[in-house]
Amino acid sequence: MADDKDVLRDVWFGRIPTCFTLYQDEITEREAEPFYLLLPRVSYLPLVTDKVRKHFQKVMKPDDVGEMWFEYEGTPLKWHYPIGLLFDLYASNTTLPWSIFVHFKNFPQQDLLHCPSNSVIEAHFMSSIKEADALKHKGAVVNEMQKKDHKQLWMGLQNDKFDQFWAMNRKLMEYPTEEGGFRYIPFRIYQVTSNRPFIQKLFRPVASDGCPHTLGDLLKEVFPAAIPQNDGQKKYQVMIHGIEPMLETPIQWLSEHLSYPDNFLHISIIPAPSD
Amino acid sequence: QSMSLSVSPAQTAAWRKQIFEQLSERSKREMDNFRHYEQAIEQTVWVKKGTM
Repeated sequence: MADDKDVLRDVWFGRIPTCFTLYQDEITEREAEPFYLLLPRVSYLPLVTDKVRKHFQKVMKPDDVGEMWFEYEGTPLKWHYPIGLLFDLYASNTTLPWSIFVHFKNFPQQDLLHCPSNSVIEAHFMSSIKEADALKHKGAVVNEMQKKDHKQLWMGLQNDKFDQFWAMNRKLMEYPTEEGGFRYIPFRIYQVTSNRPFIQKLFRPVASDGCPHTLGDLLKEVFPAAIPQNDGQKKYQVMIHGIEPMLETPIQWLSEHLSYPDNFLHISIIPAPSD
Repeated sequence: QSMSLSVSPAQTAAWRKQIFEQLSERSKREMDNFRHYEQAIEQTVWVKKGTM
């Protein structure tokens, strides 16, 4: 039987094969070939697409190259969502590679945040970690860390260094044994068909009677429609990192093993395929 | 401080087994046919550079 620690590696090294195609409206000096890349699920688009920019810049005039942004089937992709979340939410159950359009003009201001440099991603990432730790430990762990420790988390993610990241991240995953888990579970639930960007509530890992809360308990409280009805009909898929954990899975275990590097469980709820 | 849920010796719960299986299936589905694709982040091999 595999070890729980193997799950952390599987999650970290998840890759999505992606085909980048230049959008038809972009002006080029010669034909732009598509570009194929394996994207880390746990990272962010602007952090891993330098090669994409360079590839397309070669066939464009510098004046025609604005801020790069990405689109999947008409949806601008938010760079501040992890790549795995974007894929699960918008492209689960589609044929691979994931086919993304690349744009250098007509930046959709109303849908996307600007990302002028990696320091903006770093600030977003660190603020998510701080928010998660506020929920888990009232911020005590992240506040005890030094600046170099924060940098280690960020550099681990930026350079795809699993050991460097987890040497520090494990501190954010500790909790007092007698409490059976974190104070609250940092989670966000996303839906394509909702005007709300996501659902986030306070949810404890252990019930008042001491029983561990499960993924099913969480959904019952915040998104009951995702629980299959008595007739067994499944209307939704509940996806984390491209898999559908059983509703009996303890939420504390999920938080420790299936959180993204920002320490949040990003859960996608998508309509179940009708076949 | 500990991670008590993680170190249970009898790791036979159905939910845990199912997660391992699904992650393995995910690797096959998303990676096995695409190993010839470039990685987005190159792993720097500083040891080799040091011997140049």
